[in-house]
Amino acid sequence: MRASNLFKSKRAWIAITVMLILSPVFGVILADMVGYHEPLDLAAEIAGLRDVSEEVNWTPFFDYSVPGLPAEVGYVVAGALGIAVIVAVGYVVMRLVERRREDVGLA
Amino acid sequence: MHIPDGFLDTVTASVTYVIAVGCGILLWRKFKRSLGAEEISLLTVLSAAIFVAQMLNWPLPGGTSLHFVGGALAGVLLGPFLGFASMTLVLVVQCLLFHDGGITTLGANVLNMALVDVLVGYAVFKLVIGLAGNRRGPRMVGAFLGAWLGIVLAGLACGLEIGLSPSFGFYVDVTVPVMVSWHALLGVVEGVITALVVEYLHVRLPLAVLPPISREVVER
Repeated sequence: MRASNLFKSKRAWIAITVMLILSPVFGVILADMVGYHEPLDLAAEIAGLRDVSEEVNWTPFFDYSVPGLPAEVGYVVAGALGIAVIVAVGYVVMRLVERRREDVGLA
Repeated sequence: MHIPDGFLDTVTASVTYVIAVGCGILLWRKFKRSLGAEEISLLTVLSAAIFVAQMLNWPLPGGTSLHFVGGALAGVLLGPFLGFASMTLVLVVQCLLFHDGGITTLGANVLNMALVDVLVGYAVFKLVIGLAGNRRGPRMVGAFLGAWLGIVLAGLACGLEIGLSPSFGFYVDVTVPVMVSWHALLGVVEGVITALVVEYLHVRLPLAVLPPISREVVER
């Protein structure tokens, strides 16, 4: 399989979809049960630093949520939205690179 | 490891932005000629996979959580520039769309996860397969060590940044040991996942493990 075909690789997108569908189990359900607390939070507590994200927030999808949707569903929809933006950016850049290569006769 | 808004003072936030942007420009100048559609296609799919893998938070006994970061994986599979670009794309989407990682701290997050983690992972992997040969064992050991060291050094950088930022006094002597010791443990999981994915892709997609850009760098 050539790398360029990866964009169309079913296996890669199945893996991404499976992770996306499973994501609320880890990102919402287990995180709520145990409390998400990574080492950075621990170090910041000791240093007396304060997270002001909620006070200066600009996005309706704060922390992978979607307004009006239950947390588990919102998490999946937010994830799909993130993937869509990444694919859109990648697709545009790929077309620009292809066009540039054609312009300089490298294609 | 995503530093939120409020954790960094103005000086640290500015300095890390300058370093992140400066290194991005240097890498772009060095590698822009070797960019092709194949590399961008691989970058896009890997970025999407890393983005969704980072949404899987694993709670650990004792009240700590971790998620896969993927910087070293991006470095090994894509080389230094595209690895940097892939992680930066993920971090910018996380920051702008979901406020996961702050806007004032985006420079620091790019520095830690898109530069330190990617470059260390890439360099260690290349070193190990350069010394021991591009065989299964060295590939897995190289990917594991690269991912482990990448996470530990990214944690060190993160500890330095937040330790230098409090308004009153420096807490580097506390934040660095906390970040390094925890990430030395969490890095084992990162290393195992990275080694398995690199080996799986090497079998399924040999081109991806040594893309043309990486090969050029090794041969130079």
